[in-house]
Amino acid sequence: MIDVDRVRLMTRMASYEATDGKKNKAIASYFRSDYLALQTIKSILFGTIAYLFVLAIYIVYDLEVFMQDIYHIDLLVFGKDLIIKYLVYIIIYTLVAYAIYARRYSNARKSLRCYYNNLNKLSNYYDVMDEELK
Amino acid sequence: MKNLLVLKETVKIIYSRYQVYIKPISKFILAFVALSILNGQLGYMETLNNVAIVLIVALMASFLPMNFSILAVVMFALSHFYAVGLESAAVGCIIFLMMLILYFRFTPKDTLVIMLLPICFVLKIPFVIPIAVGLLASPLSAFSVICATIGYYLVIHIQQNVTLLSATSETTMIDKFRLVVDGIAKNKAMFVTILAFTMMIIIVYLIRRLSIEHAWTIAIIAGGITGAIVILVADLVLDTKISIAATMIGSFISIGIAIVIKFFAFNVDYSRIEKVQFEDDEYYYYVKAIPKITVSRPQKQVHKINESKRVSKISE
Repeated sequence: MIDVDRVRLMTRMASYEATDGKKNKAIASYFRSDYLALQTIKSILFGTIAYLFVLAIYIVYDLEVFMQDIYHIDLLVFGKDLIIKYLVYIIIYTLVAYAIYARRYSNARKSLRCYYNNLNKLSNYYDVMDEELK
Repeated sequence: MKNLLVLKETVKIIYSRYQVYIKPISKFILAFVALSILNGQLGYMETLNNVAIVLIVALMASFLPMNFSILAVVMFALSHFYAVGLESAAVGCIIFLMMLILYFRFTPKDTLVIMLLPICFVLKIPFVIPIAVGLLASPLSAFSVICATIGYYLVIHIQQNVTLLSATSETTMIDKFRLVVDGIAKNKAMFVTILAFTMMIIIVYLIRRLSIEHAWTIAIIAGGITGAIVILVADLVLDTKISIAATMIGSFISIGIAIVIKFFAFNVDYSRIEKVQFEDDEYYYYVKAIPKITVSRPQKQVHKINESKRVSKISE
């Protein structure tokens, strides 16, 4: 005999597993600190790539002026200026990314907790069924 | 109002019954329309400006993941840029790459926003998208809206300056490069639009979450008004040359469309038809779960029964 309530529960869980569950399980398989560290490193990497792109556009944009002045400008000051801008930008970018991923992690944990509760409920169903059979 | 609710239920039933077909068909239509508009706006690469190719790519998009459509649009745009000139393609490539990094890092599920925004721009009703995003998604989706806006303005800028950009002798490579970069970095209208969209998303999102009556409707109207005001003020201050009349009409139409979206999305059970399969020790389960309908469709009621002639003849 098919237990309707149990099928209902299993259906909900299977549907969750097929959609958000997979992604959330991947997130929650990390410790919070590990997950956030990994995402922060990724953010810094991608943020740096984006900065280099902008820098490249900036230099090509003023290429003629840049090539004429390259012997006159103080390269040390120029480099220092670039590094300060990079640091300000990357710190803001990383902080935003950190906040987003911290929230994503806590949401994933919360929804998985609900899923595991359902898993316990399901296992209770089977326990009850075994006892009835005995 | 009751008729509208019945209509809504009918739409829901049709959608849940034919979801298997409706999804790929709508993906196909979306990709086809987006690529056709792009070809109409740019269309400088003859090979790609061909209905057969657009059809093939749209067909592929119908069964591949949604993000394929975005990549297809980007590749089409870059190819047309390349046909205009190497400089346009180089700047376009860098800008698209940066946007893809931002998009895939933060909001990889907003394909619909990215695809629909340029289409709404062409239809002169771009306000629909930020209002809908504020209603249905999180403020994070502002990233996607910003990316799509930049992409649209880049395409328009290349289209407007195509004679200068494709000229072979008069302008140097660096000048062309500068012209393309200026189209993004010094485009006041684009920055004003981005500011307006971002403010709209935040305001709509904040208001619709308030626990007040008609929060969704107030949010929609407030969002439309915010957008119009930001654009009008910016036009006065910065002289952005955005058409005031078009903005006003566009914002009214957008508010109307947003109210229709609200009607279909608000208080709707988001769970749709679901097919899942699993097994336990005794059975394999192939379950098709269909969401319940909340408002019943009117049943045919019999008011009057005509006397049957045949019966009357027999009785005679």
